[in-house]
Amino acid sequence: MLLFCTGALVAVIAIAGTYFTGGGGVPGSGGGPAALVGAPAASYPLTRLGGGTDSVGSHRGHVVLVNLWASWCAPCRSETPALEKLYEQDRTRGLVVLGIDQGESVNAAAGFARDERLQYPILVDQDQRYGRAYAAIGLPTTVIVDRSGHIARGIDGELSLAEMHEAVDPLLRS
Amino acid sequence: MSAARTVRVRARRADGSAAGARSFAVACSIAIASLVIAQYAAPAWSGFHTWQYAAIVALALGGVLTYPWKLREGGDGIFGVPLGIAMAGASIVAITGLACGLLAPDAQTLSRAPGAVAPLPDANAAAFFPNVDPASVAQGDDAIVVRRRRGNAVNLALGQVRFIGGDALRAVPRAAAYVEARDLRGEHLTITQPANSAFLSPLLQFPQSVQIAGQTIPSDEFATPAARRLVKAFYFSGDATAKAAVRRFAGEPAVLFAVNDDGGKLLRGAIGFATSGEEIALGGLRLRPTIGAYPALEVSPVPLPVPLGVGMAALLGGLAAAAGAAIRARRHIPAQEGKSPAFVKGAPSCPD
Repeated sequence: MLLFCTGALVAVIAIAGTYFTGGGGVPGSGGGPAALVGAPAASYPLTRLGGGTDSVGSHRGHVVLVNLWASWCAPCRSETPALEKLYEQDRTRGLVVLGIDQGESVNAAAGFARDERLQYPILVDQDQRYGRAYAAIGLPTTVIVDRSGHIARGIDGELSLAEMHEAVDPLLRS
Repeated sequence: MSAARTVRVRARRADGSAAGARSFAVACSIAIASLVIAQYAAPAWSGFHTWQYAAIVALALGGVLTYPWKLREGGDGIFGVPLGIAMAGASIVAITGLACGLLAPDAQTLSRAPGAVAPLPDANAAAFFPNVDPASVAQGDDAIVVRRRRGNAVNLALGQVRFIGGDALRAVPRAAAYVEARDLRGEHLTITQPANSAFLSPLLQFPQSVQIAGQTIPSDEFATPAARRLVKAFYFSGDATAKAAVRRFAGEPAVLFAVNDDGGKLLRGAIGFATSGEEIALGGLRLRPTIGAYPALEVSPVPLPVPLGVGMAALLGGLAAAAGAAIRARRHIPAQEGKSPAFVKGAPSCPD
């Protein structure tokens, strides 16, 4: 009887402890792009301005800076000179900059690229797949993908040139 | 009455009392097993998380515990050990079921945007919600992929149930509409959902509801920042369009759009229905919904499989061993010249 009761008590504590330490429930999936650090970078082929298709995954072995933007987004427009400068400075060090327009037509993306005299590749994502896959909570959103194809940084909002260097330089050195 | 006859009568009474306690405990243990296994059969039923369910299981557990209590002095002969193991197993099963019912959360339905990932800590896994296009929404056949930290990915098609860790996972269909927006020149426009964690999702999942003409209608909203428009969308199922007597497409699901300026003011004449695949021009926008379904993930806690398995193994093993002992004892009766099993070798000792 004593053995039986002791066994039952141990079972109660062990099973109840599992629920208390396990936390229970299901947390939300919030967190934005920063929560994706360490995850494999999603990749979908998209139309590239100037012809052909391109995707994040086709640049494996390079450090890829993915910039999600739209032509109506004022901070996106003001960020582009810094992106262009970064591209000019670091492309020979293995940096790929991909600007991915979210939800707009090719005409709108091309007009923006022409106005801003962009040299880095621009892809057009009418279905906004990258925006969802990279958990964008606003525009612009910047995601840095390391040489192995994993997300190293996810940043919401406009970045300065110094902040871009701070994000990509350690990866370019590695 | 001789002394020997008195001993025999007492022994028969003791045997009858033990048999009664035995039968009652076995019945209670079977009831416990049924009640707890039922959590696997209908994991989403909220009744498992009520005090009434807990009280029934606790009462059955009390019935099981009467067995070792009643037999604490005399034992139960050849049945004592196997039924003791069975009752211990039933107790573990009951505690596992009670713990799940009382301590685990109720079933939850997770709606996430396409491409989102929902961690499932109890299952040590994560659910990956599929990316969509209009065709897959129309077909409503998207599957959620559940990846365990150490293990293969599991595809959860709509309606399928998988048990992972302490959770039962089921993909359930929810009404959804994939919206494409263009300006009047036909230029594709970005769709944003500022009130949604998936800011850049063109898939409406209608998480809110409103009352329209006496019906509860699911609703959602999105923005087209390039055109400075806020759009409210209301999902009318086939039944709802029939009840609302919308003659053009009664019985067919449709979305009612109401287009506002970016200050939230409804634009004149900018309200109208569109069925799946139909384009409608409202308030300077051309809107095309593709109506169908998108999976949500129903997460229901179930009793922890390891202690449940151990308890069930002990319960069934103990009951089988006790049944075997009873059969063996009956086979020995003719050899013992018609004596009760209580008097056969190894049975509770009442020397004749």
